[in-house]
Amino acid sequence: MSTLRIDREAADGAIVRRPGFGLLRALRQGPLFAGAAAVLVLLVLIAVFAPLIAPYDPDAVDLTATLAGSSSEHLLGADQSGRDILSRVIHGARTGLLGPLLVVGISTFLGIAIGVAAAWRGGWIDAMLSRSMDLIFAFPGMLVAILFVAVFGSGLTAPVIAMSVAYTPYVGRLVRSIAGQEKARPYIESYRVQGWSGWTICVRHLIPNITPTVLAQSAINFGYALMDLAALSYLGFGVQPPDSDWGSMINEGQAALLQDAMLPSFAPGLCIVVAVVAFGIVGEGIADRVAKRER
Amino acid sequence: MRMLRSVAAVAVMAAAVAGCSGGSNDSAKPAGGFKISPDTPAAKGNVPSVTWSLYAEPQTLDYLYAWDFPINTVLANVCEQFLRTTPDMKIEPGLAASYTNPDPLTWVYELRPGVTFHDGTPMTSADAVASLKRHMDPELASAWGTAFRNVASIDATGPLQVTIRLNKPDALLNSLLAASPGTVESAASIAKAGKDYGNPQGGVNCTGPYSLDKWTAGDSIVLAKNPNYWDPKLAPKNDRFKFVFIQDPAARVNALLSGSVDGGYTVPSNAYGRLLNSPQGKLYFGPGTGAYLLGVTNMQGPMGDPRTRQALSMAIDRPGLIKAAAGGYATDAKSLLPITAWGLAPDRAQGYYATLPPIGQDLAAARKLVTESGAANRKIVLATSVLAPEISVSSTAIQAAGKSIGLDIELKTVTPDAYTALFTDPEARKGIDLVVTNGYTNTPDPLEFYESFVTGAFANYGNYSNPEYDKLYDQAAATADAGARSDLTAKLQEIAARDLVSIPLFEQPSNLFMNKRITGATVSSAALYWPWAATVGAAG
Repeated sequence: MSTLRIDREAADGAIVRRPGFGLLRALRQGPLFAGAAAVLVLLVLIAVFAPLIAPYDPDAVDLTATLAGSSSEHLLGADQSGRDILSRVIHGARTGLLGPLLVVGISTFLGIAIGVAAAWRGGWIDAMLSRSMDLIFAFPGMLVAILFVAVFGSGLTAPVIAMSVAYTPYVGRLVRSIAGQEKARPYIESYRVQGWSGWTICVRHLIPNITPTVLAQSAINFGYALMDLAALSYLGFGVQPPDSDWGSMINEGQAALLQDAMLPSFAPGLCIVVAVVAFGIVGEGIADRVAKRER
Repeated sequence: MRMLRSVAAVAVMAAAVAGCSGGSNDSAKPAGGFKISPDTPAAKGNVPSVTWSLYAEPQTLDYLYAWDFPINTVLANVCEQFLRTTPDMKIEPGLAASYTNPDPLTWVYELRPGVTFHDGTPMTSADAVASLKRHMDPELASAWGTAFRNVASIDATGPLQVTIRLNKPDALLNSLLAASPGTVESAASIAKAGKDYGNPQGGVNCTGPYSLDKWTAGDSIVLAKNPNYWDPKLAPKNDRFKFVFIQDPAARVNALLSGSVDGGYTVPSNAYGRLLNSPQGKLYFGPGTGAYLLGVTNMQGPMGDPRTRQALSMAIDRPGLIKAAAGGYATDAKSLLPITAWGLAPDRAQGYYATLPPIGQDLAAARKLVTESGAANRKIVLATSVLAPEISVSSTAIQAAGKSIGLDIELKTVTPDAYTALFTDPEARKGIDLVVTNGYTNTPDPLEFYESFVTGAFANYGNYSNPEYDKLYDQAAATADAGARSDLTAKLQEIAARDLVSIPLFEQPSNLFMNKRITGATVSSAALYWPWAATVGAAG
């Protein structure tokens, strides 16, 4: 990595490489952070290996087992259609994580591009991009998503595109702010003096330097996006049955509450809460670490 | 006319009703273990007001479009028809005190004297004629327009006499005058309200035991007692009847249990357990006139091949479906209509039913049929909704059943409103092959239901067309004698069962919950047209 920075500890003038985020350093963030990170790793592993670890086909209907309680056959019981809840929760981790990953990936990419362009070029480009982001802010993300679903149909694609658009200004504003500060730093000026192009400076130096802060925000956004997409699925606009999805499982399971069966809705609900809290803790932890470094 | 509905309610009860001797008032306790009766204990006194839950707000109170639960449940107490459908599914005189059929092409109705509309103006034959003719106005697109397709003229042939002349014999029209097609509204009010007729601004002005007092869009409809109601037998036992709209099933059940509403029809089947065990009130089951069906909405697609329909029918685990989707409170459906729907000839219905082929699960035979029909690699779209567990769970089970025999059934989840639109808007049905629905008849004449599969009928959603069926229907419609018409209708039933124009799933009883404060409402599906609210009064 070519990015260099004069650290407080290196006030003697030595130029040191900006530290990254090694696993050990991450774990030193505290037990809460470590626990949350472990939960996320576990969720990712569950999502990746879902077909191997799920005890049943998540879509397998067994009408004789409708609303079966917890047992050795069905650890979390069965839903109204007799489908194994544990298997559906495990497979639900796939859509539960894939959707937010796409939203965060796209919104982070677009947000960085827009934010850096606005900060670097300034002037009317900054004004135009900033006002555009304000305009998008004016529309609630869920509303945009429902509109997209109405136009393009339900499923994962339309909500992901809509939520990506909705989340882009959050990243864009942050990036514009910190990129503006970074642009004013001496090392950027020195590269310009040496004749480096703005594109090269941004891609090779500025963006890598602001990445930790953006990643911290993205981790937090991941939790929010997960919640939003689950809400859309809950409302019937997202992932469609019979595909396993935590949001749609809560929707399907809530009818069972009238029959005193909690697990069909409680289990996926708990998964959403755990994932959102874990992403929030990890995001905050990263942000704290970035702030400490900046100090 | 047959109605296919997206609601989780009206309902049925075939085997159960078999024990109920087709429309009798006697209670019955079928094998399912739940008691079926059209009645609840009579009210012992009056109550000042009643609050009732509706699962949705009516889109209008215009009788032209009264063909769904919310609107009919309200309108049954406000507007009346030429004839009346009683709780035990019989047709009796309504606003028409009598009628004659001097020749196959002429029906003459003598209206009841001394009946006034809610605004105090007297009902005349001119009002009746204007009301009926609205159905024939193509610009108004009445949901009941096809009922009048054989009508040549409707005339006021006396101050209280209406004569309907037909182009060809059509006895079904007379039966349908006990349903929405026979509604009489003030002609002056229709003209005055114009396009606002039936909406919260324009309201309605009919002759029923209640008048429309206030309609707060999105919240409630309040009916007020009609002090000048013509029928003393049905003089309201309450002064004010308020309908509140509660879409969420859990919220509706909680409202019933908490006492914030006094009662409601069509409670969700997954709440039966809680409501049956509640000390706050009582859950009643009554004979219905319909069944849950898998409707074929596209006969041009893979489901157009009868072998594919047969295969899917043979793959469905109906006992499992009853347990999972209806909480066990239903029975196998052998036909598209239960025995109780045959109010026209209840003594013959059992015999008609016995001739139908049995429906059972046979996966091996079903797979063979799928191979023969070549439907294995073709996508079949099944619309579903969270509107009711009967729909969502059945859809999931049907998809799984299809998968087990090699059919590629894709679920398409739509919103409750969009689901309802499937039954009114052909555009909404585009790309949809199947839909789980509740089919029922509005009148005791089952021919009304089987009319749905006549070529070009409004409710022929899949555009099924069979000249043999059409010819037989014409013959039945032209037969005035109820018994002979029933025999012909039974033949239509046989063809519908053979061709599986819709696939029967299960029959579910109608239901009603009332808290311990009130009693007296009918549990029968006749509540769609019978002024049931008038008999609701104090329980003790």
